[in-house]
Amino acid sequence: MSVNEQANRGTGPIAPGSPLARVLDGYGAPDLPAGFAERVLAAAEARPAPLPDLRRPVRSRRWRIGQRIAIGVASFGALASAAAATGLLEQLAIPVPSANKVWASLTGSAPAAAAPEPVVAAPAPAPTSAAVVIDGPIDTPEELQETFRRVDQVRAGRREERRAIIDQRIKSEIERRRAAGLPVPAPEEEARLRARIEQAVTAREQRADAAAAARREAMQRKVENGEALTREDMTGRKPVSPEARERFRGLRDLPPGERAKAWRELSPEERRALADELRARRAARLPQPPAPEPADVPAQDTPPPSE
Amino acid sequence: MNTATEPAPATMLAPPPGDDAAWAARVAAREPQALREMIARHGAALHRVAYRMTGDAHEAEDIVQEAMLRLWDNAPAIAAKHPVGSQAAARLRLGGWLQRVATNLAIDRLRRARRLSGGEVPEEEDGAPLADAVIEAGERDNLARSLVLGLPERQRAAIVLTYYEELPNAEAAEAMDMNIKAFESLLHRARTALRQALTAQGDAP
Repeated sequence: MSVNEQANRGTGPIAPGSPLARVLDGYGAPDLPAGFAERVLAAAEARPAPLPDLRRPVRSRRWRIGQRIAIGVASFGALASAAAATGLLEQLAIPVPSANKVWASLTGSAPAAAAPEPVVAAPAPAPTSAAVVIDGPIDTPEELQETFRRVDQVRAGRREERRAIIDQRIKSEIERRRAAGLPVPAPEEEARLRARIEQAVTAREQRADAAAAARREAMQRKVENGEALTREDMTGRKPVSPEARERFRGLRDLPPGERAKAWRELSPEERRALADELRARRAARLPQPPAPEPADVPAQDTPPPSE
Repeated sequence: MNTATEPAPATMLAPPPGDDAAWAARVAAREPQALREMIARHGAALHRVAYRMTGDAHEAEDIVQEAMLRLWDNAPAIAAKHPVGSQAAARLRLGGWLQRVATNLAIDRLRRARRLSGGEVPEEEDGAPLADAVIEAGERDNLARSLVLGLPERQRAAIVLTYYEELPNAEAAEAMDMNIKAFESLLHRARTALRQALTAQGDAP
């Protein structure tokens, strides 16, 4: 017996004359009874008329699936358009190109859009000719006054810089809304908005001034007592450890939602240190003002402008 | 396989091309004589299938009657889809359509009976319980009947259509609404189950 025959013996067709076929052939079927046809005809005659066809034609399965896919694509497109139009995608940090940019990328012509005005930090005024040389730790009233002067100078520049950033953000947001076809505030509304922001900024500066005045008073008392000021006296905070610095880097890489949550979980000192670092990075990105005249103050002795 | 008194299914189920479309049109026109002709042509084959599926002559008659009445109801739609003289008319096989209806009706009734009785018919063959079932059925009826009725309903339909009715696999698959590969797999399992059941009876397959 060949291999094929052995295989067919187990799984192939039932061969006529085989024992299984002989057994199966014993299962006969009776004939239909006489009068069966009349019975069926009578039932057919008595059967109610079939229902009329559905008004809506029965479509094929392929057509139904295609219809569902088309509806799904159209729904997704409508939702995506609505999300883009309402600015939701930009809140989720998903860039949405404007129609002008898309058209320019298709046609290959660069849009002649006006570049946003760069924010220029206010140039620091040149130091006075009678500058006090700070040598070593700050332990004299003159050195302290010179420090206060430099700090005020940096703070003034920083305030100008902050106002310029706010102004640039307002302008770019209005520009974005205009490009997206969204309503933009009227000049009166914009003026009201700027006034409110200015009010908030001024209140913040006043709080900072009050805190700085209190700290300066404490520093002056310390210097009058003949004590030298430390970095902590000047900044009012502890130095940032390398571990904390590493955490800041991790924080920077987080998505916006998680970053805000992690920010809230930081201690006030860590938050302040991180803000300093961010401020320094932002200042580095801005166009640098013309270099001031070289000062005769050693760099390491310059107090940190973070008061 | 049919007995000597039964006509060969292949000759009985092979009307001239396009002939079925004309008969469908006549049934759609509510001609009793046309339905009578359909019963005469296909009734016996449907009855054999239904009887071998259910093992009950009355149940088989009910299935044939229901299949014929469905033809009576659906004839207008069938005739509309296959107008006489068209290419679609040449492809129409009322015998195949009736076989599919009867096979599905038989499977439905077997499943309903199983649900009502609470019994379980295994989809996969199982040697020992199947042997017990075969022995019990053999005491009631003959061995072949108990072998066929011991199969799950779809395997049973595959054996009835291909072995007893001698339908080609493609036509049997069409009658069971299956693709040919799935049907051949089902038929393979059915034959294996039959051979195992027979072996359990003590005979070599």
